[in-house]
Amino acid sequence: MTPVQHLAFLETGMHRTASEAGFSAPEVDYAAVSPMLVIFGAALLAVLVEAFVPRRFRYAVQVPLTLLSLAGAFGAVVWYSTTGDHLQTAGSMVSDPTGGGVSTLEGAVVIDSVSLFLQGTLLLLAFLSVLIMSERNLDSGGSFTPAASAVPGSPGEEQALRAGFCQSEIYPLLLFTVGGMLLFPAAADLLTMFIALEVLSLPLYLMCGLARRRRLLSQEASLKYFLLGAFSSAFFLYGAALLYGYAGTVRLSGIATAITVPTTDAQLGRDWLMLTGIALVAVGLLFKIGAAPFHSWTPDVYQGAPTPVTGFMAAATKVAAFGALLRVLYVAFSGARWDWEPALWGVAILTMVVGSVIAIVQTDVKRMLAYSSIAHAGFLLTGLLAVDVSGLRSVLFYLVAYGFTTIGAFALVTLVRDSGEEGQIGGEATHLSQWAGLGRRSPLLAATFTLFLLSFAGIPLTSGFSGKFAVFAAAVSHGAWVLALIGVLASLVAAFFYVRVIVLMYFSEPTSGGTAVVAPGAATVFAVVVAAAVTVVLGVAPSLLLDLTRDAVFLP
Amino acid sequence: MEFGRDSIWLVLAKAALIFVFLVITTLLAIWAERRIVGRMQSRPGPNRTGPFGLLQALADGLKLMLKEDLVPRRVDRLVYLLAPVIAGTTCFMAFAVVPFGPEVTIPFTDTRTALQLTDLPIAVLFVLAVASMGVYGILLAGWSSGSTYPLLGGVRSSAQVISYEIAMGLSLIAVFLFAGSMSTSRIVAEQAEIWYVFPLFVSFAIYCISMVGETNRAPFDLPEAEGELVGGFHTEYSSMKFAMFFLGEYINMITVSAIATTLFLGGWQAPWGISQINDGMFNEGWWPLLWFVGKLWAFLFVFIWLRGTLPRLRYDQFMRFGWRGLIPVALVWVVFISAWRQLLDSGVDARRYVIIVCGAVLALLVVWIVIDSIRMARGGEAPSDRSAPTAEDGPIDPFAGGFPVPALPGQQLLRTAGPSGPVLGVDTVVTGEATVRTADDEGPADGRDSQEVRGG
Amino acid sequence: MNPYVPILVLTALGAAFAVLSVAGSFLIGPRRHNRAKLDAYECGIEPTPHAVGGGRFPVKYYLVAMLFIVFDIESVFLMPYAVAFGKLGLFALVEMVLFMVTVFVAYAYMWRRGGLDWD
Repeated sequence: MTPVQHLAFLETGMHRTASEAGFSAPEVDYAAVSPMLVIFGAALLAVLVEAFVPRRFRYAVQVPLTLLSLAGAFGAVVWYSTTGDHLQTAGSMVSDPTGGGVSTLEGAVVIDSVSLFLQGTLLLLAFLSVLIMSERNLDSGGSFTPAASAVPGSPGEEQALRAGFCQSEIYPLLLFTVGGMLLFPAAADLLTMFIALEVLSLPLYLMCGLARRRRLLSQEASLKYFLLGAFSSAFFLYGAALLYGYAGTVRLSGIATAITVPTTDAQLGRDWLMLTGIALVAVGLLFKIGAAPFHSWTPDVYQGAPTPVTGFMAAATKVAAFGALLRVLYVAFSGARWDWEPALWGVAILTMVVGSVIAIVQTDVKRMLAYSSIAHAGFLLTGLLAVDVSGLRSVLFYLVAYGFTTIGAFALVTLVRDSGEEGQIGGEATHLSQWAGLGRRSPLLAATFTLFLLSFAGIPLTSGFSGKFAVFAAAVSHGAWVLALIGVLASLVAAFFYVRVIVLMYFSEPTSGGTAVVAPGAATVFAVVVAAAVTVVLGVAPSLLLDLTRDAVFLP
Repeated sequence: MEFGRDSIWLVLAKAALIFVFLVITTLLAIWAERRIVGRMQSRPGPNRTGPFGLLQALADGLKLMLKEDLVPRRVDRLVYLLAPVIAGTTCFMAFAVVPFGPEVTIPFTDTRTALQLTDLPIAVLFVLAVASMGVYGILLAGWSSGSTYPLLGGVRSSAQVISYEIAMGLSLIAVFLFAGSMSTSRIVAEQAEIWYVFPLFVSFAIYCISMVGETNRAPFDLPEAEGELVGGFHTEYSSMKFAMFFLGEYINMITVSAIATTLFLGGWQAPWGISQINDGMFNEGWWPLLWFVGKLWAFLFVFIWLRGTLPRLRYDQFMRFGWRGLIPVALVWVVFISAWRQLLDSGVDARRYVIIVCGAVLALLVVWIVIDSIRMARGGEAPSDRSAPTAEDGPIDPFAGGFPVPALPGQQLLRTAGPSGPVLGVDTVVTGEATVRTADDEGPADGRDSQEVRGG
Repeated sequence: MNPYVPILVLTALGAAFAVLSVAGSFLIGPRRHNRAKLDAYECGIEPTPHAVGGGRFPVKYYLVAMLFIVFDIESVFLMPYAVAFGKLGLFALVEMVLFMVTVFVAYAYMWRRGGLDWD
């Protein structure tokens, strides 16, 4: 047999002639995904900067690059959502119940009004966070470790400290995280969502371990976050696998159809498969938002991570993860809402109670804010449980309000420092007793912090009040008044420990020395001012933002 | 060619034949290696056992069989015993998909069958997977021995194999691109017109280098760097357990040679010139077996030749060459060849530009790698951020800490100090190395023997 | 017959050979007990203390393992692409080049930061 005859016998079906059909390139709506492209492109560029720019110029290149790309991506979001007719206005929603938006990349990504709203929020929050991270007045070299790979306390670390190094990798890491966060709430199938989850999580784990001071605590936080995060990712992935087994697809709309109208043999009578899948996917996402009983990582990680990173994480991760949770629950699982609602009720109640009650006994500012963030996750879940457009709108509003306030509060935590006998500045003074009498020594800082605390507590004329009002109103209007009542009670408990800090700052005698407030640079001041302004404006005129969420609806 | 038609008896017979082929080739390869290396070093090599010493390897094997089977006290018993079995098993597996020839009629019957045990749509991938599984044997052997040298030898060896496996995998991609398949019989058939070694020469070169690294052979035989690690991962093994590792190493050598033959040298197809005779007569029937074995032995000879010629690399040189040299070149080559195929398929005549652009990138890369190597070789600091301690210039006392230390670049040995006798100079060290290498060439069984003497 | 069956046959043959050889030498070989023979071999000096179940080795190897995973996954993506190249067309080529450039960025970072230096 000659080789040519031989060829004819070959049974493998693969042929290499170009004429053969069977593959068509997916359509990509580049305009719709342009914010993500900008961010990921800038992240790659930032990695190259890390590789090729000399060390002393890196900070000067990275910060503008990061800020510019975040601003550019925000511009892309605004441009995309204001031009063109891809997003229908409220009027056309009546005729088109899907509400508009585009589904691109073979349906793997959905850019609808909710995605755009969350992406814009995330980019703004990240922008403020970068301003705070770039602060160099507080510590020479910034708040990040000079050499992450050096063992804490080793001569190598000493050397790097003396040379004034800083680990400027934080900026590319942040860009990758933001890229993952942009994709997370826009993912229209469970696999894309999982990829986004990993892309946003992995850099965050690293960022948590980069603190300049108390490095062992920081590294411990990083490792804890990584281990528990990997665990929860596994939950999510396993849940996705079970749902794929049930529905035969990972597409959210496909799962929704399979749940509402089960047709195939695999679906009929296999509710346990679907319910287990829903439960596991929800666990994975509830871990990311820090809801009880999946909250145990939150205090340790918030405390150990560098404070600017904590602020970013608390605000942005919550926004992204809630966006994904909303999309999964509202788009894919809404057909089974009677099954998962009771469970989420329990989670919401537990989260509010645990967050509020345990926060009372905290003596560390960062831990207290961590428990407060758990409580806020509970309030957000209350709004989410309305499962309709009012719930969606209230959650979106709450996320913006909470995000800005949180970033501002953590930025202020970076300013209060230990000080030695001769006035040298040390690390952050996070113990509450060190904050006593701060109102007398630095009234401006105390006043701003008070504003943020009042907003957390939900006092009227702050954004926190508007947010809480929105979520509880949404809950009540759907008959979940029990949930709203518990929420209000939990808010009262929470108000107690917020007010306690205010009392401590204004009405206690200052401890004898040991605490100093460092004057921050312009960037941090700007970030805090913006956060405070948003807190006030959203409290006084919430309709400014509520109007933006008016058209919010998911494209399945 | 259809596979899966053979009866179970035929499959058993073929498997047994492959097994016998591998074992005999191993014995011959050991013999050939010792004879050829002997010639290269101006000595006869083994010539007492059988005609031309042909039975030497067999005698060594039998001797190993009769040696005491030691299980040191601190080993992890189960894993320690499992490791040589893994090494001895996985090495055979890859040959299941190697085509020895086309379809033939079995003598004295009418049955027609391919000279190949089986074939898969992913045959080459299977070979790569099995090659990786072989690493388990090495790593577990080192890990379970409960001893320092084997542990270091084991991790070293695994790191080496996986490093060069990347370059190997990347070099094969161009072959898949041209053949449009990973099935070995299909790849051989696609080479009827031209062997892939010609259009894909870069891939072939990368494959050849990485196959030497992958099989832990000289000049990349670092896991067995006697001066540093005694015997490497198999230091604590004796008797047949040691023989399994030895067998595994040689069969791996045969396997990568067979794969190189299959993927680049047209497999069993006759060389150009012979293949034209009498309308392809020599490409049919049992003739191809001859071409295949011939090409296989050509590769084996190169392996032996390398060992007789080249000194062993330092570990850092070796890793740098793999990670900084082979991998980037392989990646750029894949891009180049993909673009080239795309142009061929689309019929656009812009080949010139592709050649110019990709050639320029490749040339830049090669130039950069050369510059980088020269800079490293000169002892200059690599363009990295690590602030390595720099050696102090000027003479140093080699016995300052009580142990002899060689001079770092830029240092000179102080020729006065030293606790006793003449100072160890650089020259002596080199001679010592040469002595070690000569001792190694006495053959594996003897090396083992001397160790037992030392142990007892 | 399933094309994987012959592979199993050959594997079984190899495994049987390996097990029989190891067991055979255990049965045939002489036993001359000597305490020193059961010690770890370290060229005759007193063996260094060694943790049960594996000792410590440089973290460098861990880095190599991580890098291996990155590049092995890259080549795993490249292989089906290469096989199906004719059917995929220009789009796949562009996507693949973009993918490789992305990995190359990480590679450049690693190179510059000394991740590929073995000291």
